[in-house]
Amino acid sequence: MKKILVLFVALSLILLLAACGKKAAKVEPVKKGPVVEKVEEPTTLVEKPILSEEEIYQQKTIEELNKYQILKMINFDFDKYQVREDMKSIIQANANWILKFSAVQILIEGHCDERGTIEYNIALGEKRAEAAKNYLASLGVNAAKIKIVSYGKSKPLVQGVDEATYFQNRRAEFVITKK
Amino acid sequence: MKIKLTILVAFVFFISGQLSSQEEITIRIKEGMPMIPVALPDFQFTETSLPNNEIKNMIYETLWKDLEFSRVFKLVPREHYSYISRFNANAINFKDWASIQANILISGQLEVAADERIIFSLKVYEVNSARFIFGRNYGGKKDLGRMIAHKVADEMMKHFGEKPLFTSKIVYVSETGSDKEIYIMDYDGFRPTRITFNNYIDMLPSWSANNEKIIYTAYRRLNPDLYIFDIYSGKTELLSSGGVNYAADWSPSADQIVYTSSKNGNTEIYLKDMKTGQDKRLTFNPAIDTSPCWSPNGREIAFTSQRNGTPQIYVMDAEGSNIRRITTEGSYHDSPAWSPDGMRIAYVSRIEGRFDIYVFNLKSNDISKLTENAGRNENPSWSPDGRHLVFSSNRSGKYQLYLVDYDGRNIRQITSAGENKMPKWQKLLK
Repeated sequence: MKKILVLFVALSLILLLAACGKKAAKVEPVKKGPVVEKVEEPTTLVEKPILSEEEIYQQKTIEELNKYQILKMINFDFDKYQVREDMKSIIQANANWILKFSAVQILIEGHCDERGTIEYNIALGEKRAEAAKNYLASLGVNAAKIKIVSYGKSKPLVQGVDEATYFQNRRAEFVITKK
Repeated sequence: MKIKLTILVAFVFFISGQLSSQEEITIRIKEGMPMIPVALPDFQFTETSLPNNEIKNMIYETLWKDLEFSRVFKLVPREHYSYISRFNANAINFKDWASIQANILISGQLEVAADERIIFSLKVYEVNSARFIFGRNYGGKKDLGRMIAHKVADEMMKHFGEKPLFTSKIVYVSETGSDKEIYIMDYDGFRPTRITFNNYIDMLPSWSANNEKIIYTAYRRLNPDLYIFDIYSGKTELLSSGGVNYAADWSPSADQIVYTSSKNGNTEIYLKDMKTGQDKRLTFNPAIDTSPCWSPNGREIAFTSQRNGTPQIYVMDAEGSNIRRITTEGSYHDSPAWSPDGMRIAYVSRIEGRFDIYVFNLKSNDISKLTENAGRNENPSWSPDGRHLVFSSNRSGKYQLYLVDYDGRNIRQITSAGENKMPKWQKLLK
């Protein structure tokens, strides 16, 4: 009986060891992510006021309005001066804004990318500015409030030699001159 | 075997040479006149002169470069002078100079005074007949040494029945930072003088017929307008109003200019009488019309128009009638410049994104290409004698001005500071 007990104990010990061995092999190191400290802005009672279009118009100077591009610019296709379909909504938004403030007068600047001659680009920039003006006028903006000027390729917005750069430079900018 | 192989290689080179020359669009214009061989021995000081070699070499080198540039004279290489006895202005051995193939001999004597005023004495001989042809004395301050050399070179041109050009100037726009101002310089790029001092964009300057005024466009009132600057009085006058106004060209035969304006809504070409100020519209077309340029006899005007979809070069009579299309191939041409002999129109073409200078021969309808594989090349303008052109190119990374001969040879950079564009060579010197 004693022998059996010893055998049993020894057997169960072996089994236990074997089980332990198996378990040890299975254990993997726990991967811990970096400690992230949660940062939250302290809530204050003062909330930034959201200005209405009217308030922006009243409070900002002409320079600030132009700087923040209240009126968005549009871009053109290579060698072309027709207003692109996808640019019409931008002109519509510009028209809505101008129509809201009757004192506003604007200057549309036509620009070209560098892949043209100086002389032809001045004419092309003029045509682009004119196309933008005509579209604005068709939306109800008084044409007498719109002046145009062409800079040809003398004032590129960005420098570079790829299509993305050229696209950005082929543009008409809507500059507020009076409010 | 070795010889055979060499012949074969030579043959292959010959064939490939043939092929590449066939592919080239360049057609060399041959001028019938052979160049006149000239010898230019070192100048000598007078007995009373200060031995100022700096001034002497400046005049000598400037004259040498002028004559070399002329395409009228051919300089006998300097190393050949060492084969013969040393030049002596008081006892010229013409047989020696004939032996090294010189037809004309230029003798120069320099007097540099203590106050550095200089007197340069020129004597020109015909070698074969041992004959004195002409001579002249030039005096001035030492910093006018280059001018003296240019005057001598012009005198040589006139004497041999050619038009003078070495004292001619080039007007252009120079950019340093965001500033674009107008400058005038000698034809070879030396002695630049700034003539506008404002912070507006100044551009596309050109000369009046008498070379005394510069007409240019400035964005002075938020609008590109034409202004006239009088070089001698320093006065500036406003010439246009409304719309863009640019690319003015002064008539060679009358007190008139042609220019581009959009004052009536579309870019059209106008002719302005400079005495009365009256404008006459020459083009009537909803397309872009621009870049007008007079023929040298003042009867016709070359211009760019997009009336058939793409910018092409056209010619019309000075009244605006009889419009003919000049460029028939390609989809982008501009900046026409009519040669002083009336035979050729230089212009810029954009082909596959490249901008190069081409010359169209109005008699033969041949087209030759003056620039190739080197950046963007723009705004050609002819020299007063029609043998050379100045143009701008960004081949070095920045825009600089270059000279090139009528046949595409001898391209030479003449500016290097900042960026330089829109050159216009002075009109024929009186």
